[in-house]
Amino acid sequence: MVVQSQSIWRKPTDTGSSSPSLSVCSSPSLSLPSTPSSSSCPAPGPAPSGTPPLGVISEGPGELSLVIDAEVAQRACQEVLQKVHISLMYQNRVDVGGSQNGAGPEPALSVTIVKPAQIQIREVEDDPGSVKSARRRQRHNPSKQSWLLRLFESKLFDVSMAISYLHNSKEPGVQAYIGNRLFSFPHDDVDFYLPQLLNMYIHMDEDVGDAIKPYVVHRCRQSISFSLQCAWLLGAYSSDMHISTQRHSRGTKLRKLILSDELKPAGARARRDPLALTPFCPAVSGSGEHGLSPSKRTHQRSKSDATVSISLSSNLKRTASNPKVESSQDEPVRLAPQREFIKSLMGIGKRLATLPTKEQKTQRLISELSLLNHKLPARVWLPTAAFDHHVVRVPHTQAVVLNSKDKAPYLIYVEVLECENFETSSVPIRIPENRIRSTRSVENLPDCGMTAEQRAGSFSTVPNYDNDDEAWSVDDIGELQVELPELHTNSCDNISQFSVDSITSLESKEPVFIAAGDIRRRLSEQLAQTPTTFKRDPEDPSAVALKEPWEEKVRRIREGSPYGHLPNWRLLSVIVKCGDDLRQELLAFQVLQQLQSIWEQERVPLWIKPYKILVLSADSGMIEPVVNAVSLHQVKKHSQLSLLDYFLQEHGSPTTEAFLSAQRNFVQSCAGYSLICYLLQVKDRHNGNILLDAEGHIIHIDFGFILSSSPKNLGFETSAFKLTTEFVDVMGGPDGDMFNYYKMLMLQGLIAARKHMDRVLQIVEIMQQGSQLPCFHGSSTMRGLKERFHMSLTEEQLQLLVDQLVDGSMRSLTTKLYDGFQYLTNGIM
Amino acid sequence: MSQVEKRAGLLRRTSSSKKPLKEKVVLMYDEIFAKEDPAKNNPRFWDELFLMKVNLEYLESKLESVDGEEVQRIQDNINSLFHHCVQALGEEHQIKVVNALQTLCALFRGVHQKNKSASGFDIINMLMGFDKAEQRMKDLMERLDSLLCGDGSESLKSLCLKLLLCLVTVTDNISQNTILEYVMINSIFEAILQILSDVSSRGQHGYDAVVLLALLVNYRKYESVNPYIVKLSIVDDEPTLDGMGMVVHQALTEYNRQYKDKEEENQGGFFSTLTSMVGSMFIADADEKLSVQTNEAILLALYEAVHLNRNFITVLAQSHPEIDIATTPTPPTRPHPQHHLAPLMNNPELPLDPNLQTSNLLITFLKYASIVMQDTKDEHRLNSARLCLIILTCIAEDQYADAFLHDDNMNFRVNLHRMPMRHRKKAVDKNIPSRPLVCAVLDLMVEFIVTHMMKDFPMDLYLRCVQIIHKLLCYQKKCRIRLHYTWRELWSALINLLKFLLSNETTLLAKHNIFHLALLVVNLFNMFITYGDTFLPTSNSYDELYYEIVRMHQVFDNLYCMVLRVSTNTGQWKEAASKVTHALVNVRAIINHFNPKIESYAAVNHISQLSEEQVLEVVRSNYDTLTLKLQDGLDQFERYSEQPKEAAFFKELVRSISLNVRKNVSLNTLSQDVLLKEFSTIS
Repeated sequence: MVVQSQSIWRKPTDTGSSSPSLSVCSSPSLSLPSTPSSSSCPAPGPAPSGTPPLGVISEGPGELSLVIDAEVAQRACQEVLQKVHISLMYQNRVDVGGSQNGAGPEPALSVTIVKPAQIQIREVEDDPGSVKSARRRQRHNPSKQSWLLRLFESKLFDVSMAISYLHNSKEPGVQAYIGNRLFSFPHDDVDFYLPQLLNMYIHMDEDVGDAIKPYVVHRCRQSISFSLQCAWLLGAYSSDMHISTQRHSRGTKLRKLILSDELKPAGARARRDPLALTPFCPAVSGSGEHGLSPSKRTHQRSKSDATVSISLSSNLKRTASNPKVESSQDEPVRLAPQREFIKSLMGIGKRLATLPTKEQKTQRLISELSLLNHKLPARVWLPTAAFDHHVVRVPHTQAVVLNSKDKAPYLIYVEVLECENFETSSVPIRIPENRIRSTRSVENLPDCGMTAEQRAGSFSTVPNYDNDDEAWSVDDIGELQVELPELHTNSCDNISQFSVDSITSLESKEPVFIAAGDIRRRLSEQLAQTPTTFKRDPEDPSAVALKEPWEEKVRRIREGSPYGHLPNWRLLSVIVKCGDDLRQELLAFQVLQQLQSIWEQERVPLWIKPYKILVLSADSGMIEPVVNAVSLHQVKKHSQLSLLDYFLQEHGSPTTEAFLSAQRNFVQSCAGYSLICYLLQVKDRHNGNILLDAEGHIIHIDFGFILSSSPKNLGFETSAFKLTTEFVDVMGGPDGDMFNYYKMLMLQGLIAARKHMDRVLQIVEIMQQGSQLPCFHGSSTMRGLKERFHMSLTEEQLQLLVDQLVDGSMRSLTTKLYDGFQYLTNGIM
Repeated sequence: MSQVEKRAGLLRRTSSSKKPLKEKVVLMYDEIFAKEDPAKNNPRFWDELFLMKVNLEYLESKLESVDGEEVQRIQDNINSLFHHCVQALGEEHQIKVVNALQTLCALFRGVHQKNKSASGFDIINMLMGFDKAEQRMKDLMERLDSLLCGDGSESLKSLCLKLLLCLVTVTDNISQNTILEYVMINSIFEAILQILSDVSSRGQHGYDAVVLLALLVNYRKYESVNPYIVKLSIVDDEPTLDGMGMVVHQALTEYNRQYKDKEEENQGGFFSTLTSMVGSMFIADADEKLSVQTNEAILLALYEAVHLNRNFITVLAQSHPEIDIATTPTPPTRPHPQHHLAPLMNNPELPLDPNLQTSNLLITFLKYASIVMQDTKDEHRLNSARLCLIILTCIAEDQYADAFLHDDNMNFRVNLHRMPMRHRKKAVDKNIPSRPLVCAVLDLMVEFIVTHMMKDFPMDLYLRCVQIIHKLLCYQKKCRIRLHYTWRELWSALINLLKFLLSNETTLLAKHNIFHLALLVVNLFNMFITYGDTFLPTSNSYDELYYEIVRMHQVFDNLYCMVLRVSTNTGQWKEAASKVTHALVNVRAIINHFNPKIESYAAVNHISQLSEEQVLEVVRSNYDTLTLKLQDGLDQFERYSEQPKEAAFFKELVRSISLNVRKNVSLNTLSQDVLLKEFSTIS
């Protein structure tokens, strides 16, 4: 076993002939991924897994098992990759020692090699890029890469590795291979790294671009949302280039190609299900053309075509009521509806920014949205949502303008109908706002379809139809059913119902008497019953809207919506930002999500809430709002309580279950965000940027100042993160158990993050390429970030560090000063 | 009368300029009015005729001058002329189409002018001949329909609409216009809708289209099935309904703007007053009349839309930010208010008035109503005010409309016009808070109540007004909506109204049943007293209600004495008055309960004048010993129905609108020189 494994690892140093079993099978899969044989590779050599010669590499016989510690293996792989990467830097020399070093001193390495039969590489054959790269691959010495190939083919080779390899490798063959390998990853996994992929496409050399392009093009063909996502990101990340180069850059060209909508749907294929991805098989099509030819279209395809065309015309005009217009609308509308939808939302934001007061903005917003409603439903969707849907209505009166000094970000609620696939499912038909009344006009009027003969000459009087009683009887106020809330008052005895319904029966001649005192009492009781809400304030319209519990809001909006009765009705919300660069937010989101998954993987109960970001351009985008959360500023302003008292008010006394769980949530989220703030150097931490949700979690928002950038102020906010005495009070004081728990969580979180540092660094590093974002200002951004992971410290030292950070933040005068500063300048408490 | 004058004036003008020559077209007309078939000698007669510029005045006067026997003689030729006109509408040559349209106008008008007393059948016979009438009219309507819906010239479409308006208004009473029976059979409803749904055609022809529709809907409304009513009631296409709303909105906005301009002018300095006086000598008279007639037609269209079409209710709340409107092309004839707003968008001063930015049809309508209702002495204005209140009645009865009127999220500042009165200062407009729209409606009602207590008492309007308030309260009670409204203003307005009724009892009773109004007012109070717990905004407001009643107890006492007196006498008001006595039971109970308590409180505390707070305190502490009687049917109301109550009003209204439209159309149709030029250059 050991010998066998050694031979494998020594492979790269050989000339390529000593291990025929390996090279036979691996080379075709690497160099000929586009030939028919690759997809139907018979796997002549090693069996998929566990076969003695290639299966498991291990030191002792006891570990001869397929169940390996994924964690260990992955880390090992990464380290190997790191080193291989170094070796490849000098690709012109055959750096034997480097590779040997890479393999030799790694005793705990266990790798399961899988065979390429499962790696389905699909490629567009006539793509010049791939042909070129295939040729280039053959030029290189295949033996040199074959061990690397094994890693690539291994189960452990994930998107993260692929991306980092794509970024770090200077070897065109490797890049091209990874470009192909992308096809085999689940879409969702790759989508996470889409900003990285596209940024590399824009800013790195041609080889990387050529490697990425086929994949992007392929995905664009498959999906409208992917196309648009790409187009938006390409636009946003190209914007930092000089204007002259930008116009002719690769990114701009690809963006144009996508937006020109030449990348039409590729064929009948189950699009959303990665498991259903069948390998491309030229034998079926029989021709040299790629399998996207119309001849391969199935009935399914034609169906989707038809529904795609039932969609918005370019001016977002709803055509559903006019089938003639629809059918004439053909393919060009594939991307248009969504683009128009987004454009409308952005246009609203721009116009709102010109209005001076919040009240005017709110009014204008509502009226603009009501116009937007006319064009819905349509084949448009909110890209921040997690499920496929069509937008059917914007409850315009619920929209609010958010607090911002000079921009006009706003929050809208959007009613959607969930569907299988927004591209192929048919767009819901429009239901008029006043659906109840539609019954009347048709049914209550007499048949008017008189023939001309009947009418001609017959000037006689026809019975009058205009019987108002009948015509108006469908929904008058008198018949209006109002669901009254259950009244839990004691004084509401049998008399109280009289105030609900008057007595109309004429039989009861007996007069009914009521006490005036009862009426007065009921009035004050019912007034007292209305739940505590923030008072409406024209200067802070969002506070009321955000304070209302999400469930409550959903119920309320559903009741008032003509679509509310549909079972697949959902309510979404989104913040539209116009004039703000969300690229940093997106970067922060990615880092947060990466850390969240790391902590989850390491089972550290830190709580953070990454909220989705959609970058539309360098100065616009959308944000998924955090539901059931209001800012600390709003909490303090409207409740006039300290944070601890607010917790007591909302959750109950300190010993109750509700309070304790809220407190635990608070601590876990504080720990998570403290680490985030430290690692990313998140600044501008005033109370307007920290939310508190209904369960006690805090959520940091606004990552406008991270890494190397900080607001231009007087050197405030020098502390690592924000930890005010109010926070500590909620945790039960600096000596409490919960406070210790907080510190322990931070330590665990830091250790876990450190373990997977590369996954975090990689995200940031790639985005630095070609970027003018303030967070990358200076040269030490990456070094500083890396240093904050403190790879060199022991766990004891780390604990000390955490203690220091916490102490420093607690004692920090600057936090307090900064809050005061914000209060003075922006009125944020 | 005015028709004759106008024609005479026009004749004079043309005759003075063209006296020496006798136009070819006139000669040709003469041939038509000769016995012979004009085509007999000249087979291309009709072709040539439509290439000739129409002389409307001559043709019309010729038609009028024909007397009884001659008619028989030339009927064939007139039928032939009509026939060829209809055929010419299908011509590619646009000049011919224009001339044919104008000739038809002249034909319809001339024949009707001549035969004012004649039956519709005679007119049809004279124009088309009985046997062919159906086919001719079918052809005509089809041609007009295709012209209106086609991609042809906009001026041509406009002319088509003018012809239709001319046809519809050719008789004073639209229902006597028998030719319209053919317009019913061959509906052009769809063409009208198409014009309204398209942004650009709406801008140019929307006004005419809406007026035409409003008139057509009123043809034999109560006697037969009018397909336009049926079709209008089932329209649910939002762009179309919006288009209709937009046309009404723009017309009303224009009126409001003109009014405001005039008002500002009047308030200007001496010089501006002088200039406006001088200016008004020439134009103001005509201008004012014009605006009044315009708005009655538009208001009727709004009424029909609100009354007949439930989907239209949503259009009322449809906001129109001016950006959208500014992009729509505006008709050359009517300057649009939005047009002049749009360039000012960047003017820093302008956005201070939020109403300029966001408005909707309902707000504009309320403002319009507040202007019209100020002065109801003029008959046109009285009609407009009545129609406004009828529309508001329909709105208040509609559940959806009520929902958005009361929507807490839809707040607006509505600057209603208030009549300048001696005893009150002009309200500072800027301080009007942004509130749900129902507050503006209530404000408008309160405003009306306090400003129209005059000798020539508009009883009908008062009844409508009080009923609108009642309907709104019923909705609030039903839905438990606690509106933050200063109810006190309403209460004191209502009490003052009762006071006015009492002090003018004798004069008013000669003309009106004041007891009915008094009963409605007292029952409004009963709503507040018995159901206040369901819709009052604060517990204090209930105390204030009692305070107000107790404070004004003398009015209620006097009212009670009066109705008691009338109900014990035998007379025509006996029953009406006794209803009021029963309705007053709770108010009297309150007064009788609290007055002694307050007096004894004052006596015990040795205070001669109790402050409001002290009275409220007494009220609060003495509720429990007061028992009220629950009255029947307080939250029931009679639903609005057009027939039979309002039929006479609408008949008269439509008649006056017809007259106005006819006057306008004749003016406009005749000035088609521009149009002819347009086509002569094209072809």
